[in-house]
Amino acid sequence: MNKTHTSQQTVLHAQNVRKSFGTRGNVQEVLKGIDLRVNEGEFVGIMGPSGAGKTTLLNVLATIDRATDGAILIGGDDISKMKDAGLSAFRRDKLGFIFQDYNLLDTLTAKENILLPISLGKVKKKEAEARFNDIATILGITDIAHKYPHEISGGQKQRTSAARALINEPSMVFADEPTGALDSKSASSLLGTMADVNKKRGVTIMMVTHDAVASSYASRVVFLKDGQIYSELYRGDKTRQAFFQDILKVQGVLGGDSVDTI
Amino acid sequence: MTLFDLVIRSMRKNIKHYYLYFFALIFSVVLYFVFATLQYDSAVVERAGQSMKFSSAFKVAGGLLIFIAGIFIVYANAIFLKRRSREIGLYQLIGLNKGAVARLLIIENSLLSAGALLIGIGIGILVSRVFLLLLMKLVDYEGFIALSFSTAAILQTVVVFVAIILLTTIQMIYTVYRNTLLSLFNADKKGENPKKPKTFVSAVLALLGIGLIVFGYWLSANMMNTMLFFNMIAVLVSTILGTYLIFRVTISWMFYQIRSRKQGHLGLKNSLSIGSLMHRMKGNANSLTIITVLSAMTLAMLAGSYSLYYSTEKESRYSMPHDFMFESDEGLAAQFGEELIENGIDFTSEKIELLSVWGTFEKDVFPEWDGPMDGTYGFSIVSDQQLEKAGFQVEAPKKGKAVMHDMNYAMSMNNMKLPFDVNVTSGESDRQFRITELGSGNVVNFVSVGFQLVVNDVYFEELKEQLPLESEGNMVLDVYAVNLLDRDQLEAASKIFSQSKYIDNAEGENYAYSTDYYSMYENGILTNGLLIFIAGFLGLVFLISTGSILYFKQMTEAEQEKQNYATLRQLGFTVKDIMRGIIRKQMFVFGLPLAIGLLHSVFAIKAASFLFMSDITIPTTIAMGLYALIYIVFAFLTVGYYRKTVKAAL
Repeated sequence: MNKTHTSQQTVLHAQNVRKSFGTRGNVQEVLKGIDLRVNEGEFVGIMGPSGAGKTTLLNVLATIDRATDGAILIGGDDISKMKDAGLSAFRRDKLGFIFQDYNLLDTLTAKENILLPISLGKVKKKEAEARFNDIATILGITDIAHKYPHEISGGQKQRTSAARALINEPSMVFADEPTGALDSKSASSLLGTMADVNKKRGVTIMMVTHDAVASSYASRVVFLKDGQIYSELYRGDKTRQAFFQDILKVQGVLGGDSVDTI
Repeated sequence: MTLFDLVIRSMRKNIKHYYLYFFALIFSVVLYFVFATLQYDSAVVERAGQSMKFSSAFKVAGGLLIFIAGIFIVYANAIFLKRRSREIGLYQLIGLNKGAVARLLIIENSLLSAGALLIGIGIGILVSRVFLLLLMKLVDYEGFIALSFSTAAILQTVVVFVAIILLTTIQMIYTVYRNTLLSLFNADKKGENPKKPKTFVSAVLALLGIGLIVFGYWLSANMMNTMLFFNMIAVLVSTILGTYLIFRVTISWMFYQIRSRKQGHLGLKNSLSIGSLMHRMKGNANSLTIITVLSAMTLAMLAGSYSLYYSTEKESRYSMPHDFMFESDEGLAAQFGEELIENGIDFTSEKIELLSVWGTFEKDVFPEWDGPMDGTYGFSIVSDQQLEKAGFQVEAPKKGKAVMHDMNYAMSMNNMKLPFDVNVTSGESDRQFRITELGSGNVVNFVSVGFQLVVNDVYFEELKEQLPLESEGNMVLDVYAVNLLDRDQLEAASKIFSQSKYIDNAEGENYAYSTDYYSMYENGILTNGLLIFIAGFLGLVFLISTGSILYFKQMTEAEQEKQNYATLRQLGFTVKDIMRGIIRKQMFVFGLPLAIGLLHSVFAIKAASFLFMSDITIPTTIAMGLYALIYIVFAFLTVGYYRKTVKAAL
């Protein structure tokens, strides 16, 4: 199993990533040296109790925040050495984002929102239209293309958000609690689609979640505790149900916010 | 914790929200106080003693100022309350009843207002001197200017602002009592979502808006007829209605057309401009219309009064081409000359002969609105050479032709078609003059000489022989034109002239037209200087109020869209990319009202240009340019605020 992964190309390689907050005298280290390698086509879930540094890790890897120390390579580029303008361009061209609260621009229609990342004119209109049709069909949102965010449901909003994350054909998609605001039916539908996209189009996905059900859709789950990697689980050939049970076990040992609810 | 503690805490925590409203209050207090101080200032009162216009002009302007300040403060308070509606809701959510919340807001408002009044009056005392100096400079006052501390002005300011503050208090109580918790919590999320306009109706209304404005412009250029008053009202109504339709329908309709043509491929710049603008077009239509109309009015007022001030000298010259003039009495002219010499003033004194005759105009030469001009009118025939000797340059045409001057008919003369004939009906022999040119202003100072016909000297001598000048009220009138060589001595000479022996008749009454050029000019400067000061003062208030309202509104919008900017930056757009879209939006928000306002005022000034004999392009351009410049400062401030917001978003 490991063999099949190493034979693939590494998309993201984080080495000894550290992140501290606060000023002198009151420094809090949230990430304490993370080493992580994500291969092309992987669907990685990041789990851990509140305060473990999940979102911080995602932000740092996704170039939204800067690491205090360590190196991060995405597709061979060392993002920790890039300037702000370079990072912006990098995010626009190589990364996709899905947020918990969708972050759609309420002044734009679903289609306009989706086309935003390729709106600076580098992609020709014909090509953009083709990509849009392609993705909208996969995500099942062709009907709502000309509706405004306030006219569609949460699930549809998150699908729109996902479509926006995929339109620029990113090397990697980062998702921060994408199902956090959805009911379980919409959540599993979305996750199913994400897994589908991951498998069929080979899109690499990294998803932060505290929900064991959500992470059971991933091909690998990384557990964080106190800013360090605690353990990892690979799904391999297991059914999703079996993988879910494995995740629950680790989570039980780890202790965390969602343990009591199950 | 008492209610008062809560007030103090919330004020300390919310400085950011308060300073906007606080600024609006202070600003209004300062300007009103300055105005009140000037009204009571001794130097102003002294200068004003000369004319009733002064005090009544101040009263009208003061009333307008209260009106503007009231609207501005209420508007700022409305924005302020909207930004705080969540907080007001929260107080109620945690169990404060509406009465307590209202009390809390009233205490806050009283504290804020008292502070603003104190600070405003303080700043007012400091800056009123600057304004006083400016006013006195404009009206040519040369006395010593000391600023006295005026308790009356303070009292008046306090009374006015207590009234305005009561108004805002009512507004606050209304907000607390009339809003449900839900609406309070959602106030900052409000914003309409653009709907598909009914294509046909919208298209018709959109075009109607443009049509109404074009019609208003056309009418403003063609309103000189017997229905002048009705036409003026029609122009106002059609341009204001047209402006409203432009903002309410035309713009949305155009945006919608552009947007649907893009089929979702809007691009970042348009997303941040058109998208955002369409989202709030309905709410913004009213304020943009008001701002446009106000700007147009202010611009027209400023440009008009500045043109008056600017052309005072020229216009005085048009009616008084010579510095001094004596009618018939050669001895008096000589006496005046001697007195001038005694005072070391150099001058020229020339006799000008006027052949005073009666005559008629060719039919329908005058524009219709001047009424039928087919009666008999007084004409004065003047020799070009005599005028030239007296220092008035004019080129007279050949025999039988003449140049006509008369400043009383300047307005009509602008609309006359050349050439036309004048028939001098004296005695048995009619004589025709072909008028080939219309001159500006008068050629001699007296207004009672009628239409002045300038002919060449040879012809003049011939006429003098042939016309029956001793009969039927015709005569030769000699006038003596005294012109100084040194302009700087005008004031001294004018003082000498103002003695009773020169300007009064035997009964000790002023001659009807016995004034000199300099006195007329001085009088004009006083009136027009006052006018430009008041217009400028009100204009400044208008300008800063409208600019601030746009700025406040955009500040609120920037905060509402902060999340959008955060998202865009996460998606990988740089601050620069985002700012490009925002600048496009601001060009619309600030640029369109300014552009339409300017256009309106240009047509308004054009329509009013008949009031001027001189060309007012320069003063109008200066006034409008200055206005636009200050206005643009607000646009820059707004863009700066947006940049800060976008930068801080991530």
